[in-house]
Amino acid sequence: MSDIQPVPPEEPPQDLPEGASRRLAELEHGLFTSDLSVNEFLLIKEVGFHPVGFVMGSSIYHTGIQTRKWGQSQELTKLTEAMYNARELAMTRMEEEALELGADGVVGVRLDVNYYEWGKDAAEFIAVGTAVKAESGVSHRNKLGKPFTSDLSGQDFWTLMQTGHIPQGLVMGTCVYHIAHRGLGATLGSAGQNVELPNFTQALYEARELAMTRMQDEANELGASGIVGVRLEEKSHQWGSHTIEFLSLGTAVVKTSDEVTLPRPTTIISLDN
Amino acid sequence: MAVPSEAPGDLPEAAVRRFAEGAFTSGLTVPDFAACLQMGLEPVGFTQGYCVMQWQWYGSSPMGMGGGFGSQWGGIRGYSETWNCPHGFVSGEHRSWGQNYEQAWVEDAWTTGFSTAYDRMVEEAASGGAHGIVGVVDSVQPLSDMGVLEFRVQGTAVRVTDGVPPADGRPWTTYLAGQRLTKLVEAGYAPVSIAAAVSSVRVWANCVTHYLTEGSNSMFASATAGSEITQTVTAQTVARKIATHRVRSQLGHDSLHGAALSTVQRELGEGDAEVECVLRGNRVRRFKEFDPMPAPRPTVRML
Amino acid sequence: MTGTEPLGGDQGDSVDIKAEMRSAAEAIGKAPKPNTARMTSDLSIDEELVLHSIGWEPVELVSGVSMHSVPVGVWNWGQGEISYASAAYGRSFANATERIHDQCTKAGGHGVVGVHVEWTVERHHIDVALTGTAVRPVGAKSLGSDPIFVSDLSGRDFTLLHSAGWAPLGLAAGASFVYAPRRSMGDTMKQSGQNVELTNFTEAMYAARESAMERMQTSAINLGGSGVVEVKVTEGPMTFAHHAVGFTAYGTVVRLVADKHRNLGARMVLPMDDPTSTFDASSLRGA
Repeated sequence: MSDIQPVPPEEPPQDLPEGASRRLAELEHGLFTSDLSVNEFLLIKEVGFHPVGFVMGSSIYHTGIQTRKWGQSQELTKLTEAMYNARELAMTRMEEEALELGADGVVGVRLDVNYYEWGKDAAEFIAVGTAVKAESGVSHRNKLGKPFTSDLSGQDFWTLMQTGHIPQGLVMGTCVYHIAHRGLGATLGSAGQNVELPNFTQALYEARELAMTRMQDEANELGASGIVGVRLEEKSHQWGSHTIEFLSLGTAVVKTSDEVTLPRPTTIISLDN
Repeated sequence: MAVPSEAPGDLPEAAVRRFAEGAFTSGLTVPDFAACLQMGLEPVGFTQGYCVMQWQWYGSSPMGMGGGFGSQWGGIRGYSETWNCPHGFVSGEHRSWGQNYEQAWVEDAWTTGFSTAYDRMVEEAASGGAHGIVGVVDSVQPLSDMGVLEFRVQGTAVRVTDGVPPADGRPWTTYLAGQRLTKLVEAGYAPVSIAAAVSSVRVWANCVTHYLTEGSNSMFASATAGSEITQTVTAQTVARKIATHRVRSQLGHDSLHGAALSTVQRELGEGDAEVECVLRGNRVRRFKEFDPMPAPRPTVRML
Repeated sequence: MTGTEPLGGDQGDSVDIKAEMRSAAEAIGKAPKPNTARMTSDLSIDEELVLHSIGWEPVELVSGVSMHSVPVGVWNWGQGEISYASAAYGRSFANATERIHDQCTKAGGHGVVGVHVEWTVERHHIDVALTGTAVRPVGAKSLGSDPIFVSDLSGRDFTLLHSAGWAPLGLAAGASFVYAPRRSMGDTMKQSGQNVELTNFTEAMYAARESAMERMQTSAINLGGSGVVEVKVTEGPMTFAHHAVGFTAYGTVVRLVADKHRNLGARMVLPMDDPTSTFDASSLRGA
């Protein structure tokens, strides 16, 4: 039985469903739940953290647009805002649950999107993860005093801590970009040749840059020294192939003040395939 | 390898010719092949056995097969359990009587198909001078809609370097290959043969099972709404028990390792169902005292 | 790695595997020793070896099945929770667990590991089937003082937890089936006219997810556990009724049985084999 004392919540959660409060109360009495594998559970314990509870947040958001054949490639700013807000809402609720549990952070965060048949122009954005707390009792919350979030697995969390860094937050940048339809003349003109399509190239460059820059801005706000595990996802959701959301995700980290020596890794040749 | 002067057993002649040609063929992957050589097993050839059986059983009733199926096959034998309707006579459509029974004729036919295919594979391997067969794969598949089932068993025939041929002339067999086989032997187990058995239990639903399975609105159902469908659950439980029992009876004093239990339930309407359960595994024999390894060290990969 | 040190550290005595294979083949021709216990197991050889390293062995393949009926009309579009379905899932899971537990007791096992959990939701019934291998400390004849556990932990995970001082207690499961909110999304969105959150839909789905988790937690508390690991969460609409959405969660309940948690001292390794790289055109896009 862990020796973590239940911590009273600092403020009542703002917009979590009633069921959530009941469930979280059970967790505050000492039961922990997690979707961590046994490997991850043990590795997290090794770096001095204990899982507190499975936390989640979700938001169903209207994501429909009027499809038009715009002549120019451009960002669809209203949609960008919508995608960002929807995920922020889901993440914030998940963070609130973690806050309610008195957690220091959330690991293994997964962001998913669900589409339902009965909601054609809408999508559900979900964030789930496992809230963890330092067994030493020392707060490991981030610069904003909130539990850190990260999509790092238990193994990556362990490895990161070995290097003397700690996650600050899952940072993201998004950009919904519309790629102009090429006029009929232009299509016929280049038919049968292998040419670069400058429209597309330019559009993709710009969109990715926007997404990554926004992600970096979030990391700066957290006072991070770097971002690990960056990846770029591209989804058309339900908009057809000319409108794409570029989502850039990563975990912002800072160097901790603790002096940590990196153990020398052992080299092995594994004999299994 | 000497060319046999006539086809052994009832193998088609083409199979014999393939063995005599010399260069071996093998169904093993490269790592499995390497592990075989490491163990001192030389692949000798790819070996297979087939058997096609007429298959009209599925969904049939014991009454419907031209006047007494049951009588043709010696009656219903094995598991049988009645499920009487608790309501008394209600109407012609109300199923006042139900029964679970083991379809022994289905089990016998499956066993015949499987063991014939298996025996042919073993014969083919033996005719090539093999000591054992590794990496066995078996499948049971309907051939189009002709009402036939094809049983296939195939594997890689091997010889043990500096080893002796099997005493009874029948090569040993195992589903395992490669590293898994190496570890099995290191752990002190000898592969004896594959073991497989089927069980087939028919659910002839009574009224309660009928209503519960179809979610009927009948007033007789409402009293038991949301209940467990005990008749079908019993059939499922018994089917697994029978399959396990039949495999155990093939084991002698040996153990079953690396088993796989697969269950299929075919719903036939009005609550009727057929539960078929196949258990496959490796019959293994301990040939040396088990030497437990020390607790392995946990590691985290950097890649 | 300086290059002058031997790789891997001590390997123990090396095994002459060719000689072992020859002995094995000879043993097949001879009769087995009498009175050897006949075990049946669906564990892989790796799992069996790992179990043996902590002094446990497989005993018998065991299973448990349960099916509960869902009356007609339950899936017709209504409001709120579809309690019949949630209850049917809970009861099926509980009964199946009890049955596999009984089979384990009869076989003389101290617990079941590696349970495959198969559950299906049909229009008129919800079924749960559990299959696993009963295990016990090597040569144990009588049952220990600890209650018999049922868990979907692999042999490997059971061994790791055991070495760290934890023991599995059983499986905890919870489910919540709900209807999508009645008012069509089309109306709601036409009214709002912009990209905003659809709050009543959010509330319905979020609440259902929490409910499923809560039920799982309750059954974990009832087992007397301190935590649930490897929770598997599924969610999605029913294939036969798209307006009904089901959320399920199940995992293994664990408890610290040693005085305190024992760290295993994991080490970092750097494998020297090259990872196989696959090339496909879609990797040209994106970072």
